[in-house]
Amino acid sequence: MSSFVWRRAAAISKKEIFHILRDPFTLALALALPVFMVLMFGFAIEFNVKNVALAVSDSDRTQSSRRLLDTFGSSQYFLIHRVVSPYEATRDVSAETSRAALIIPPRFEKDLLAGRGAEAQVLVDGSDNSTVGPVLSYISSIQTIASRRIANFDPPKHYELRTRFLFNPELNSRWFVIPGLTVVIMAILSILLTALTVAREWENGSMELLLSTPVQPIEIIVGKLAPYGALGIIAVAFVYIIARTVFGVPFEGNLAVFGLGCLLFLVTYLAQGLLISVVTRRQQIAIQFAMVSGLLPSNLLSGFVFPIENMPKVFQYFTMILPARWFMRIARDTFLKGSSLLELSGAFLALSILGCFMILFATRRFKRDLEP
Amino acid sequence: MIRTLVGFIRKELTQTLRDPRMRILLFLMPAIQLTLFGVAISNEVKNIRLAAVFDSEDSVLRDIYERSIAGTWFIPAKSSQLDPFKLIQAGEADAVLVPPPGGFTRALGRGDAPLQLLVNATNVIQAQSVEAYLQSIVSDTVHDDLKSVSPDSSIRFDVRVLFNPDLETSKFMVPGTMGMLMIITTMVMTNLAIVREKEMGTFEMLIAAPVSSWEVIYGKTIPYVILGMSSLPLILAVAVFVFHVPMRGSLLVFFAAALAFICTAVGMGTLISTYCRNQQQASLAGFLILFPMIMFSGLMFPLENMPTAIRWLSQLDPLAHFMGLLRNIMLKGGEANYVIIHVASLVAMAVLSVIASFRRFHTTLQ
Repeated sequence: MSSFVWRRAAAISKKEIFHILRDPFTLALALALPVFMVLMFGFAIEFNVKNVALAVSDSDRTQSSRRLLDTFGSSQYFLIHRVVSPYEATRDVSAETSRAALIIPPRFEKDLLAGRGAEAQVLVDGSDNSTVGPVLSYISSIQTIASRRIANFDPPKHYELRTRFLFNPELNSRWFVIPGLTVVIMAILSILLTALTVAREWENGSMELLLSTPVQPIEIIVGKLAPYGALGIIAVAFVYIIARTVFGVPFEGNLAVFGLGCLLFLVTYLAQGLLISVVTRRQQIAIQFAMVSGLLPSNLLSGFVFPIENMPKVFQYFTMILPARWFMRIARDTFLKGSSLLELSGAFLALSILGCFMILFATRRFKRDLEP
Repeated sequence: MIRTLVGFIRKELTQTLRDPRMRILLFLMPAIQLTLFGVAISNEVKNIRLAAVFDSEDSVLRDIYERSIAGTWFIPAKSSQLDPFKLIQAGEADAVLVPPPGGFTRALGRGDAPLQLLVNATNVIQAQSVEAYLQSIVSDTVHDDLKSVSPDSSIRFDVRVLFNPDLETSKFMVPGTMGMLMIITTMVMTNLAIVREKEMGTFEMLIAAPVSSWEVIYGKTIPYVILGMSSLPLILAVAVFVFHVPMRGSLLVFFAAALAFICTAVGMGTLISTYCRNQQQASLAGFLILFPMIMFSGLMFPLENMPTAIRWLSQLDPLAHFMGLLRNIMLKGGEANYVIIHVASLVAMAVLSVIASFRRFHTTLQ
């Protein structure tokens, strides 16, 4: 049969553009949704846990115990919000009125003055993973402060550990979250945008019509990808502007490298949506499939919040088939580290392979469907 | 009334389950994904590449390095260059320990020795835990090597982590993911079922038929509540038998909470469908609603620190209520007050969304 003809692909694109423009609701959502979400979550998400609700029980009622309470209360980490009996403490944590409880035993000051070292009990709610880690580290830092303040205990200092946090010296949650958030949002949006394009034509019967024309499967695929790719790039550009201006996220790298990564990533996910569309041929199933394959994996397995290095080896290899994993690296490293194309060559190569694979696979499935 | 309703429900169930791919998506997929996420995701820090610049005489720093590598957190970085900053920039190491000139051991002898730690902070959470952990290793090693006898501090805390003492990630991830998997399929399915009929024009026919609006609403929602609930036993089995998440509360309370949650998901799906004209819109609207729900559920980000306005907004997130319920019931045994408040919120949301959709349907008809 004949080879790829740009004019025919362009005609398909043109038709798809008309389709997008005819549905302003979809167009508006596709452009506004990423911006809206980055704004909302950018303001909302904060990893540095503050004001953890603390229930306290002081059976000692001495100057030392009060000063211990005061150390907790004035630390900003904890907010003393209830005074309870030791018995109530566990129940309070269980009912989630408090996240942690501090129980000071009756002999606290006596032990301290006798030089035996005093001990207080801290109960921490272990059912919430997002707070338990920070709370534990706060407790250990309060221990040092409390020892110094209450017992005048100052251990001889032999050394000093000076930590420099590279690429995000103030540990700003936003610098960490916003590039990642962009990746996750664009991944899902791209899949959803194209997941219906082919299935819809099968359901409407217009696909049969299209097939009787000389247009080739690869031309249909490319023609359908191009307009959504352009839409995606515009959406990312908006998000980039917001990240830089509203949230002050630094951009250390080369914009062209980031742009190229963006394009590859969008094309890969749009092609994944098309593949879903070609394979399912029914809009209802296509959407379910798009949600299932897009929403959770790109959130949980891309390294957005849960680092890939912590996963078992098998799953680390498994995540390699997720384009979001690679673009997560490109986005974070170009924003914060200023990595060059060479340093990111692995990620770029992987994205290109995945993109080509998706397009080829979608075209082949398409072809097979056409033959009697 | 009952007969029409049964007819409705039967039609909707056969229609949805006719496609074998839908059956897989509904029943098998959640269990597979739950297994996948439960095994893959871990908060235990691992495979951090650590490098340290020391010569053969620097015995204390060598001890620190060897101790770090011996644990599960760190692996040695293969260092091709000596500049610590470039090591991290090139992605060859995640953390580097840099001693003062002349070595850390010698500086310790002089007292007040500075030891520099460079950490890649592109992942903020990880960088903080790496710093805290290395801090304790350095303190222990210096303490042991100098054989100083003074205890670290005179006030000690006996810290007990309740409900998940070993901090196993799967114990909080699995209940959290269960809720997400349930709402994604159920809500999207309900939404699409109605929008598809609107798109094809069969919904008009339904309106012309001699059935009341309430029958239409019930007939369109009850089947999806049934489908949502029927996918639950398999997920629960995976959670309890594969991941050994305890079931400390009563099963009855668990299923009651799940029923309330599914009703809310179905109710909200119905409400969204009244605003969508075609399936493309329905899918984007689904994303618009589901994504914030996941973000504000408390699984990935702590809810405590969000601005007050957003915390109020998260009260409208059924997933946040359900996730709290699942953890409370499964891990803590279900505190009566807590369960009642959150189940009641879910029920209220379900009722409100059904009433709102009923009114929306009603106005579209007239």
